Amino acid sequence: MTEPAIRTRELRKSYGDVQALDGLDLTVDRGEFFGLLGPNGAGKTTFINALVGLVHKDSGSAEVFGFDVEDDYREARDRIGLAPQEFNVDRFFPIIEVLEHKAGYHGIGSADARRRAEEALKTVGIWEKRDTRFDWLSGGMKRRFVLARALVSNPDLLILDEPTAGVDVQLRHDLWEIINRMNDAGTTILLTTHYIEEAERLCDRVAIMDSGRKVEVAAPDDLMSRGTDTIDIELADPIPTAPQLDVEGVTEVAVTDDGLSVTAAGGSQTAPALMRALERQGHTVTSLDIRRASLEEVFVDLTRDDREYAEVSA
Amino acid sequence: MSRDHPAGDDGHDGRLTDGGAASAADTATADQRGAPTGIRARLVGLWTLLHREILRYVRRPRNTFLPPMITNVLYFTVFGVVLGERISGGDPNAFGGAGYILFILPGLVVLGMISNAFENASFSIFHGRWNEYIHEVLTSPLSHTEMVLAYVAASSLRGIVVGCIIWGVGLVFTSVTVANPFYLVAFMIVIPTLFAAFGVIGGLWARDFDYLTVMNQFIIRPLVFFGAVFYPLSALSGVWRDVTLLNPMVYMVNGVRYGVIPEATDLSPDLSLAVLTGLTVVVIALDIALVKRGYGLVD
Repeated sequence: MTEPAIRTRELRKSYGDVQALDGLDLTVDRGEFFGLLGPNGAGKTTFINALVGLVHKDSGSAEVFGFDVEDDYREARDRIGLAPQEFNVDRFFPIIEVLEHKAGYHGIGSADARRRAEEALKTVGIWEKRDTRFDWLSGGMKRRFVLARALVSNPDLLILDEPTAGVDVQLRHDLWEIINRMNDAGTTILLTTHYIEEAERLCDRVAIMDSGRKVEVAAPDDLMSRGTDTIDIELADPIPTAPQLDVEGVTEVAVTDDGLSVTAAGGSQTAPALMRALERQGHTVTSLDIRRASLEEVFVDLTRDDREYAEVSA
Repeated sequence: MSRDHPAGDDGHDGRLTDGGAASAADTATADQRGAPTGIRARLVGLWTLLHREILRYVRRPRNTFLPPMITNVLYFTVFGVVLGERISGGDPNAFGGAGYILFILPGLVVLGMISNAFENASFSIFHGRWNEYIHEVLTSPLSHTEMVLAYVAASSLRGIVVGCIIWGVGLVFTSVTVANPFYLVAFMIVIPTLFAAFGVIGGLWARDFDYLTVMNQFIIRPLVFFGAVFYPLSALSGVWRDVTLLNPMVYMVNGVRYGVIPEATDLSPDLSLAVLTGLTVVVIALDIALVKRGYGLVD
């Protein structure tokens, strides 16, 4: 049986009174582009660090391609390339040598390590800086280098912890392109990000985490379909008060200057029934615009719901 | 919104390859790709970290090798040339007839070796922790044993090189004849290796740079200075001699001294060598256990 790229069961980790991971169950399939969303302190980085060996779990299990991250740590780590959020790079050596060392730690001989280091630097576009030390790179180049370091061992699982945090739009798109190429070539990607647009655009599936738990896992489209859409209706004769609309899915009706603003689950399915209901009441609809719920709105709703649930449970 | 995957316009498939074209192995499953379980891959990993650690100090001789050279020139000048005659009282048979410079030379070699071996291991590990680049090693497939062996071997080698430099400086001031090469070589390997292993513990234990200074200046150096470097044990009597014999440095200095002037030594080197070798193995095993536990390294 083919093991998934990542599988965790009841993964727990606490720091004193803070439960960073609270029974996390998560499976990431091979070849997936998987996003991890969550507010600060949700446990995303703790989860990643548990996979790569920078955090000892308290209980539960975590496997990478079927290898337990603690019992079979060498096999698991050999398959992972990590681009962390922090710039934890060896300052003593020129960046090309840092890459050669990283490849060497993975058992890659010196000639091949050199070739891979060169290729990684070319891939991320900082080849001309190969003899420069990390501290002398610009912020954007540092971000590129961290990605190159993750690539140099040719990983099967590429873990990117907020890879585009604080970078400009052009660099963000460059990094997206590189990551996408890796994914197209078969590399599984685990991406954490605060940029919801990034998750919408790149990911096959996203998991929303909060308080160390998985709140939801689904494709971005699926998640967005669960949100409430807004239908802006322009009426020929604006009305002073909101009408009673007995239409399935409608959650709120508000009067606007030129008509109504209707909040409904599944806006495109609700719109025809909504129009018929308004016409039955004698209103003439002159235009109708459906604004889909964004992943950001769904994210905010889900994490808010989860916190309210946690507070009630407590 | 559907997932947007812009294709590379250069035909590059994204994964690094052997020579640019995607090989079957590169896109093969994670089960099939080369896990670092082969002996060659393991040796490559160990050698890479060892090489990295050696390069770190070899490329900075002004910080690593020049200071002990200058310090020892001063020691030999002051203690040997200026004060040596007065200390020996003009007795040609003092210090086993070797002369004061030759008498203190093994002790200064030991001081240089252990200081540098300890400092190298503790600094390298602590600096890596402080700046978090030790994560490059920790997240790699190197085993805990390989990590420890690389740090210890590189640091021990620095101690040995510094020891050889001090011998070289000593040769400028006096002539040296190796009487027991086996003991000389054995002690010059075991002593820095032991302190490199202690340095690993120090590097894991330290919480800031002051810890490193405290360990070197207030623990190691006093032990060496009271370890019969500058005087023979026979110069002490009563309780002072008994207390001095509790100092492990005495046995180390005595062991190296036995290699060049056995007649000036007070203790048999065999037991010292056996105890030091055993202790080195124990401390390295402790290093491995600490790294495996993630002490100072992992949350």
